[in-house]
Amino acid sequence: MGTNSGATAGINNKPVGGAGAGVLGGVGANSSIGGVLSNSLGGGGGGLSISGLNSGGQNANVGGLVTGMGSGNNMNDDGGNGMSGGGGPNNQQATTPQYTIPGILHFIQHEWSRFELERSQWDVDRAELQARIAMLLGERKCLESLKSDLTRRIKMLEYALRQERAKFYRLKYGTDPPQLNEFKPTNEDSGLTGDVATDSEVPYSSVSNTTWRQGRQMLRQYLAEIGYTDNIIDVRSNRVRSILGLNNNAEHDGSSGGLGTGGENLSPNINGNESNKRASDTEGRHTPAKKQVQQASDGIIIDTEAAVMANFEFLGPTEMSDDDEISDDLEMVATDSDDTDVKLAKRAKSGKDMLTEEVDGSLGLGELAQLTVNNESDGAYDSNAKDGTGGSAGGAGYRKTWNAKYTLRSHFDGVRSLIFHPEEPVLITASEDHTLKLWNLQKTVQAKKSASLDVEPLYTFRAHTGPVLCLGMSTSGETCYSGGLDGNIECWQLPSPNIDPYDCYDPNVHSGTLEGHTDAVWGLTTMQNNIVSCSADGTVKLWSPFNKDPMLRTYTAAESEGVPSSVDFVRNEVDHIVVAYNSAHCIIYDTETGKQVIKLEAAQEMSGNTGKFINKVVSHPTLPITITAHEDRHIRFWDNTSGTLVHSMVAHLEPVTSLAVDAHGLYLLSGSHDCSIRLWNLDNKTCVQEITAHRKKFDESIFDVAFHATKPYIASAGADGLAKVFV
Amino acid sequence: MKMADGSTILRRNRPGTTSKDFCRWPDEPLEEMDSTLAVQQYIQQLIKRDPSNVELILTMPEAQDEGVWKYEHLRQFCMELNGLAVRLQKECSPSTCTQMTATDQWIFLCAAHKTPKECPAIDYTRHTLDGAACLLNSNKYFPSRVSIKESSVTKLGSVCRRVYRIFSHAFFHHRRIFDEFEAETYLCHRFTHFVTKYNLMSKENLIVPISDGENAAPGESEA
Repeated sequence: MGTNSGATAGINNKPVGGAGAGVLGGVGANSSIGGVLSNSLGGGGGGLSISGLNSGGQNANVGGLVTGMGSGNNMNDDGGNGMSGGGGPNNQQATTPQYTIPGILHFIQHEWSRFELERSQWDVDRAELQARIAMLLGERKCLESLKSDLTRRIKMLEYALRQERAKFYRLKYGTDPPQLNEFKPTNEDSGLTGDVATDSEVPYSSVSNTTWRQGRQMLRQYLAEIGYTDNIIDVRSNRVRSILGLNNNAEHDGSSGGLGTGGENLSPNINGNESNKRASDTEGRHTPAKKQVQQASDGIIIDTEAAVMANFEFLGPTEMSDDDEISDDLEMVATDSDDTDVKLAKRAKSGKDMLTEEVDGSLGLGELAQLTVNNESDGAYDSNAKDGTGGSAGGAGYRKTWNAKYTLRSHFDGVRSLIFHPEEPVLITASEDHTLKLWNLQKTVQAKKSASLDVEPLYTFRAHTGPVLCLGMSTSGETCYSGGLDGNIECWQLPSPNIDPYDCYDPNVHSGTLEGHTDAVWGLTTMQNNIVSCSADGTVKLWSPFNKDPMLRTYTAAESEGVPSSVDFVRNEVDHIVVAYNSAHCIIYDTETGKQVIKLEAAQEMSGNTGKFINKVVSHPTLPITITAHEDRHIRFWDNTSGTLVHSMVAHLEPVTSLAVDAHGLYLLSGSHDCSIRLWNLDNKTCVQEITAHRKKFDESIFDVAFHATKPYIASAGADGLAKVFV
Repeated sequence: MKMADGSTILRRNRPGTTSKDFCRWPDEPLEEMDSTLAVQQYIQQLIKRDPSNVELILTMPEAQDEGVWKYEHLRQFCMELNGLAVRLQKECSPSTCTQMTATDQWIFLCAAHKTPKECPAIDYTRHTLDGAACLLNSNKYFPSRVSIKESSVTKLGSVCRRVYRIFSHAFFHHRRIFDEFEAETYLCHRFTHFVTKYNLMSKENLIVPISDGENAAPGESEA
């Protein structure tokens, strides 16, 4: 035993080298590691015990590295000592394990080389980081000096401008100017420098400040979304490049500025040219930025934005600090970012001709400059308009912001349901005023406050003798079905979307009544030529409206499930329907056999059924997922194959009443009695947009929401008798 | 309402509500309605409770804006007239009623067209109701449901005159439908009271005889 332990110690010491100090230093570690060793040995195999020890050593090693690089060696010593120290009990308890000395040796050598490898890796990393720190420090210094340089230049130019204006005033009126106003001289200036300056200066000073700020806000938003950190390195390199570019520019501008101040005898013409040029530079600024925003998806452009952003960030404080000099400061910003754009345009040669052209145009004089003026004012208008809804630019569909566009007012009472035509910009609404109305979004009446358009109904469908509660439409868009409180399902042939609203009555529009339910029909949905309906009479019925005997089948659940509240076809599975019941359970039926396929329930989630009532059930268009809207403000997602709850989220402030999934299955729209509709990204289940759309009548607000299958429309129907369409 | 959680009453028609239970909830005093649609809610509540109690339904609450009161009542009339139109659609066809007439004295021209047209009765009915729906929901004339412009209040009179012709046509040409409908809704009775009370139509135009007796069903009053 004695020899054994001695040998182990020796072996351990050998590869480590210089063991004496190590033994002393490792006392603390000894005890703990020894403990680990004996414990695991008691369990069984010797291999295990060593790995346990090794992992202990490794851990210590990592910890050591976090604090300091150099300690790797010592830690290794500790590990070795731990083993040798623990050797006593080790050998006593398990003398037989099949360690061979070469085996242990080999193992330790292996471990040692691994540590060495890791250490060198860490060293490399550290060196890299240090280099980066140095680089960033240098860059920062560079930027700081640049900043102070620019500030100085601003002051200089400002001074030169004042001098020039004073001189001009003297020449013109023969007296000293009474007061150096910022704006008045500008006008005089423009009179001298010509049309380009006039055009640019005036709108510029009025819009630039706000648009610039908005632009910055927008950029920041984008950056947050794309993950600023990922691009940070690119940003830095960009900045370096822009600094280099700027330096050139600064020299150039500085020299011309110097001319302006130094050369007392210069003719006003030169001055005019210069300001002319600067004005056009200024105009160039916003346009490319806009372009970039619109092409946000492009990787290179993202970098560009970041660079622009960085520039703005850097100049921001300067601008804020002295309000008096805003206009001059902005000019600086202009040249600055403009230059960046030039650089980037050159860098992003890959077919970004537009950008390059823009920049060239704004740099050169003449008609092109004029063009960019127009572009800028357009851009400014755009961003202003969009800012009204607090959204981001929707240009490239990067993230679309829905805005209310059409208001459909003509119902006398709450609109219970609405449905879009599958192709045309046409929709049908069903109301508690007993009627359905047909609307064509292309036939609008300009409302007073230009923001939204009023649509007048083209046709009123009358047959129900009570409130109309639900709607369905055939896939061809030729036939529409409505279910009412009177228990009837009415079938309608859609009149032409170009019909005269005051045409003669055509009784053939109403093509039939499906009778069979004995109480209110609350849910209706279509699939090819079949429709399925659910009613307060407790039944779900499958119909084929063109058959001689249209009612195909009736599905009735157990008494305990209560009354069905909503129904949908399972979209990715032929012949399956999903029905939501009062019991807050959904049941999937096979329409052919009439048998229950699966029941969607989650015992824990749904325990205590109070208020969990399902207001609406929809099936995902492509995935085996069912989505339910609940009275307890939740939206829940279910797996159709296992019948289990996949996801549950509080979606609104009040009961969720309605759901709609877009044709591609990417977005979910929900409506609630809290008066708002929300758009959800189905991928990560986050709310993309919330729109307050309707008012309350009693305790109800929104009854239905819908997506257009092929066109970018969404719509909501409310208890206030209105339907709204968003684009 | 049975679905009420806790002590608060939630006035909602949840999917699956039977027609019997539809809108069946305790009355809410007008003062407690904080909705912009309070007047409509209040009127519908009164009608739901007892459609025959015309006097009560037409009694304007204190501190109520008269314009809004009249406007909301007229909306309700037009809405309920849909029921009469649905019934008429089954019987009144362009072949039987080629013109909109009540007595033989007048032929009414349909004002829905650029130049007033001699529409068949059923078209006249539909066009008038559709036109009324558009006018009463027009953002131009009735942008708000809590205050009505004085200039728009005058529009109500002409809407009343036109929709009244639907009653009179039904009464003189489709008496069975009229009586059935009236027995259920007391709509013509209420309408006549309404226009008389607020002086929206002249007496001589009110050609459908309505007895003023308290509980006399309109069907019993003979022309």
